[in-house]
Amino acid sequence: MNVQVVGCSHHGTSIVIRERLAFGREQAEEALQQWRLSFRDVEGVLLSTCNRVEIYAASQSAPIPDVEEIGRFLARFHRLDPSEIAPHLFVNTDQAAVRHLFNVAASLDSMVLGEPQILAQVKQAYQAATEREATGPLLHMAFQTAIRVARRVTTETAIHQRRVSIPSVAVADFARQIFERFDDKETLVIGAGEMAEETLRYLRDEGARRITVINRSFERACQRAREWQGQARPWEELHNALARADLVISTTGAGKPIVSIEDFRPIQAARGQRPLFVLDLAVPRDFDPIIGECSDVYLYSVDDLQATCQNNRALRDKELPAAQRIVEQESRRFMAEMYHRATGPVIQQLRDGWHKPKEEELRRLMNRLPNLEQRAQDEIRQSFDRLVNKLLHPPLESLRDESREGVPHGLLDALARLFQLRD
Amino acid sequence: MLSHVQIFCFLASYSVALALEASRLWFRSGIRGMVMLGFVVAGWIAHTAFLYHSAITAARSPLSSNRDWLLLAAWVMVMVYFYLACYHPTTHFGVFLLPLVLCLIVAARFADAEHFPREPSKIWGVIHGTSILLATVTVLFGCVAGLMYLGQADRLKRKRPPYRKFRLPSLEWLQTANSRAILASMLLVGVAVASGIVLNLLNARQSSPSIPWNDPVVLGTLAMFGWLLMHAIIGAFYRPIRQGHKVAYLTLVSFVFLVIALALGMFVSTKHGGVVGKLQIENCKLKIANYGESREGWHVPELAKGVVSRHPRLAQNSPRASCPQFSIYNSLPSLGPTGGPL
Repeated sequence: MNVQVVGCSHHGTSIVIRERLAFGREQAEEALQQWRLSFRDVEGVLLSTCNRVEIYAASQSAPIPDVEEIGRFLARFHRLDPSEIAPHLFVNTDQAAVRHLFNVAASLDSMVLGEPQILAQVKQAYQAATEREATGPLLHMAFQTAIRVARRVTTETAIHQRRVSIPSVAVADFARQIFERFDDKETLVIGAGEMAEETLRYLRDEGARRITVINRSFERACQRAREWQGQARPWEELHNALARADLVISTTGAGKPIVSIEDFRPIQAARGQRPLFVLDLAVPRDFDPIIGECSDVYLYSVDDLQATCQNNRALRDKELPAAQRIVEQESRRFMAEMYHRATGPVIQQLRDGWHKPKEEELRRLMNRLPNLEQRAQDEIRQSFDRLVNKLLHPPLESLRDESREGVPHGLLDALARLFQLRD
Repeated sequence: MLSHVQIFCFLASYSVALALEASRLWFRSGIRGMVMLGFVVAGWIAHTAFLYHSAITAARSPLSSNRDWLLLAAWVMVMVYFYLACYHPTTHFGVFLLPLVLCLIVAARFADAEHFPREPSKIWGVIHGTSILLATVTVLFGCVAGLMYLGQADRLKRKRPPYRKFRLPSLEWLQTANSRAILASMLLVGVAVASGIVLNLLNARQSSPSIPWNDPVVLGTLAMFGWLLMHAIIGAFYRPIRQGHKVAYLTLVSFVFLVIALALGMFVSTKHGGVVGKLQIENCKLKIANYGESREGWHVPELAKGVVSRHPRLAQNSPRASCPQFSIYNSLPSLGPTGGPL
């Protein structure tokens, strides 16, 4: 039995190479078809994300293509020179390959430790390979176990609970602690920075729908409003919009605060004690920090959130050993199960080899004792079964023990010779 | 079998549930939630059995003594907690609600188990008692929500990330809970006051001793009702009072009113709810005994009748025959329903 992973990731390969090796959805489907034609009896799953391109291969009997062959396969598909990509490819086999898959699925190998998207990407890759009939029993078992391991890491450690990007921390750790729902809240975006866009993405995931965009350039505000399915307002309406808003994301490039405490006092009076969440992502800041001291105003700057992000990163790192222990334990268990499966044919032959003489002896005995009652016959039959099971138990137990560290070829050969087992 | 159920049984169950809830602050566990709810349910079943047994033994509703009343309030609070624990399993309501439940049960352990006098109308009596009970629970819950609001708001102001091991609901949820708690308690106290007036009128019609309007408990309850009503009226026209920190502070003020009303009932001489403290009973007995020597303007027939009717055991256990002073009590009916200044 062989399991192998060949690929490249953010650990040792620059984005320039990763981009050239990456597969889009349709490309991945085409590549899987080509895989089946090129390596007929080898199972394959292709995982392509922005941080990694990996091919998982497995086979119970046929030889698995080595790293050079897979490198040539990748180069041929992307019309690249194999020598160009060969130095960037890594290879892991057997337990190392399984451990790598579990680490990837549990997001322990991600650029941002514990990021949640990778599990969905692993599932998609596995599903795509299954639909193209590129998977078999080994990779079915490996990927299903990987998904289970990822869930176990999620439930048994806090590695996924901490957000580490500023927009996600702003929404998950602060905005969601202020508001129960977002679909009835007014979101005001001042400026049009990229951070605002990312924060809006998180807010949309939470249900935010009512978005107003204000920019010094009304045209740019209209353009952004169209992109975000919101409405644009002229800059002059900023104070009115602030009085109506529940959430404010500010990312202008102004050289000094656009809302001072003097500006804010009448706005606060008009708000009537409604809580206001202000995410000031601009540097220098758009809101006078004293505004944050007003009652029912929750003002956060990049620095405020940065501290939380770093704290969360440290806490995730703290959870890493516990997560790695789970992966190690599961990969060992998986390999033991795999190795034990490899002994299946020998175990079956052993059972069959003992079953046949047992049945012959029983038949002979029953012929000699034709007047036996049915109950006595059953007792004798059960006794023979128990005897065979007891005699088989020590060799099977030895096989199981030996399987923990690898396929016990020596023991299998010995059993085959001792009991004259043939394929 | 029900007679074996003691207050200690459910007090212990709720204490274990509280300890499990508090243990969330230190370590994670997959089965803790189920075990915790198991203890709460077990305690609640024992609690129900105890109240049921008390009610059938005394042939009275479970609202007919101070002790039963406190136990019933705790019983309702446990139901509120159970609902919240099921629908918001990751939020730590138990750390706030279960201590209140335990306080009510401990208070019940030391409260007067003497039954209140029978009211002239059973229905109005039940409405009165139930509305006061539910108003108390609502105010207590509002107080908890107010404290949680202030804690959560303080954390957000200090820009601290949420404590994973000690989750609180969002400010919006807490604000809604606070606002609804104040409105509900206003309505319930209103019903309690109205039903109390009806009961007093019925008492007067049947020539039974009624509760004076200047009774401390009545005044305390009226002040609380006035406060809640004023808040509701102002809130109807001026929305900000129902939002943000203000509503949280208002629930805390309502709680202070409740504490004052309860303290008046417990520690001040009052005729409301039969809450006549032991000292007062002793004082009355002494006054009755010294009737011959002392004339302090006491309305002795009414006083004696009130004491005896509220504490039937006092009359039953008193060796009236051997106690010449209590002969006054025996002669009360002949003095007429209200007697006269002696």
